[in-house]
Amino acid sequence: MIATLDSNRRWRRIFLIVGGIVAAYALLAPLTSLDAAQSANVPLLADRLWFRIATIIAMFVVMATAWNIIGGITGYAAFGNVAFFGIGAYTTGMLVAKAKWPFLVSLPLAPLFAAAFAALVGLPLLRLRGHYFAVASLGVGVAVGELVQNIDYGGQPLFGGASGLFLPIYSIDNRGLYFFYLMVAAAAVSIAVTWWVLRSRFGYGLIAIRENEEAAAVLGVNTTAYKVAAFALSAALTGLAGGIFSQWNVFINQDNAFPIEYNVQMILMALLGGTGTVFGPATGAVLLQLLIQFLGGSLPITFDIPFVSAAARPIVAQVILGLLLVGVVIFVPRGVIDFFGGRSRLSLSYLRRSLRETSL
Amino acid sequence: MSAAPSPHPPASPGTSPASGEVKGAAAAPQLELRGVTKRFGGVAAVDGVSFEVAKGEIVGIIGPNGAGKTTLLNCISGVHRLDGGDVRWQGASIAGMAPHRIAKLGIGRTFQIVRPFGSMTVRENAAIGALFGSAEGRRGVTGAFALADEVLELVGLSAKARHPVSALTIPDRKRLEVARAVATRPHLLLLDEVMAGLNNVEIDEALEMVRAVHATGVTVLLIEHVMRVIIGICRRAVVLDFGQVLAQGEPEVVLRDERVIQAYLGERYAKRLRAERGQDGTDRKS
Repeated sequence: MIATLDSNRRWRRIFLIVGGIVAAYALLAPLTSLDAAQSANVPLLADRLWFRIATIIAMFVVMATAWNIIGGITGYAAFGNVAFFGIGAYTTGMLVAKAKWPFLVSLPLAPLFAAAFAALVGLPLLRLRGHYFAVASLGVGVAVGELVQNIDYGGQPLFGGASGLFLPIYSIDNRGLYFFYLMVAAAAVSIAVTWWVLRSRFGYGLIAIRENEEAAAVLGVNTTAYKVAAFALSAALTGLAGGIFSQWNVFINQDNAFPIEYNVQMILMALLGGTGTVFGPATGAVLLQLLIQFLGGSLPITFDIPFVSAAARPIVAQVILGLLLVGVVIFVPRGVIDFFGGRSRLSLSYLRRSLRETSL
Repeated sequence: MSAAPSPHPPASPGTSPASGEVKGAAAAPQLELRGVTKRFGGVAAVDGVSFEVAKGEIVGIIGPNGAGKTTLLNCISGVHRLDGGDVRWQGASIAGMAPHRIAKLGIGRTFQIVRPFGSMTVRENAAIGALFGSAEGRRGVTGAFALADEVLELVGLSAKARHPVSALTIPDRKRLEVARAVATRPHLLLLDEVMAGLNNVEIDEALEMVRAVHATGVTVLLIEHVMRVIIGICRRAVVLDFGQVLAQGEPEVVLRDERVIQAYLGERYAKRLRAERGQDGTDRKS
């Protein structure tokens, strides 16, 4: 027993050290692209490609962490969270492109709109449980994307229609650096919010709802209000990521603001890392997004997958992601954070026990 | 939903503190059921049930399986919506209120089939009750855990406070169910067969637990199949059959009622009782 505890503590320390080094590198490397650093002959550790991938990773950290609030902590498997990403993107996009608002003024409205929409659809939707809720939320996710593309006003597409919405380029020095840090800040906010939730009365209420909703209700938890609040909070953070994305990417349309595959990816990230935890979804987002980028061939380190042509790579990547989802759900139901956090050790007996727990 | 005046308005505790100790029947009812009805399809599971519970009482609800006992508790705690009648709490109607609002008024309950929060420890389970529950004496997270510890002490689960729920035995899970409800600081506690499935020693311990909770000033309305429990701690018992009140009164008296014996206790017990009555020649039927 003591030996296990000691080795757990060691794993925990290794996790913290490795995680700290990776985070420090990721946060400091971009600074080498500053003019001051370049004129002082500091080696360039972060080029344009680096910024693109790192910002996308941070964006998924926000989305997976936000999904965790409704899906992991409250236990309502929302399959349509991409709707909030898109609403956030289009809120900021419309305000910047059409109303000519400054970006930083219109950005706070993205989480606000997304949360308001979530509260509105959440009231009827969150009465459903289990797969009924999952399917209904997926429907909302698809419907919002279609609506945004197809709503006309006075014969003109209101939100840019099928040709999308172009935003004026945000003029600032070191744009890549700026948006990377902005997205990282959003990720930090979502992780901090999760940390607070899990320690608050609100969070205990949400976990009680997840574990047994009827028991939570008779103990005095206002289940409807709590579920809607959790959904809106999740939507707000997702919408924030969308708002930053729209100005960063300068162009948004149905395909990049409402990609259906994000729904699955953010859930898979949260599952891979560990649902219901503070750092699990973020860990999963980093690991999985690196894998996605690697399989897609956009990482600097890459190699040919045997028997697979370059054209078929994206398809193979999808297959591998699917297999990973199945494997994670069956063998690592509590996520990889379980190994790092000092609770369990990765071993054959762990996998066997998980298999027993997850199979009928 | 308005607080219509009750025929016997309860004495305001603020104006007459001296009249605190009122004897049984004289006190205004804390809980009053008036023709409570609940139908599932064509079946009336609870059919026009009326009775009162005074502050500080321990009242037992008995009746054969399917008599509507749990449904009645669900009607009081807001889990079911009434199809007819009224539930009045301290003079005001609470019919149609959501369960969490009824809990905030100070009515706590347990479930017959225990419903622990599986991922939490014993202590965290009790703390959920303390964090939410009655609107009076609400406290923050730290205070809630302190109250949870007190309640676990009261029900005898202190030693297992840090255990995961999955490590608990059935009697301990029943204790936890009670602990969680007590932690909501209720004025009235509804217990749904907390002694079912326990052996004799465990029943004695559970009886002690209920007495201890009652001693803190909580009114108790409990469903029980174990007659020893009903006779042991209840001053009054209400017998349900086919969703209706068959009889009510002192447990010993009620249990001698011919109809109750027929409906509930079965032919063998009925014969034995008849034989006993034949010997001492008394019939205390009220």
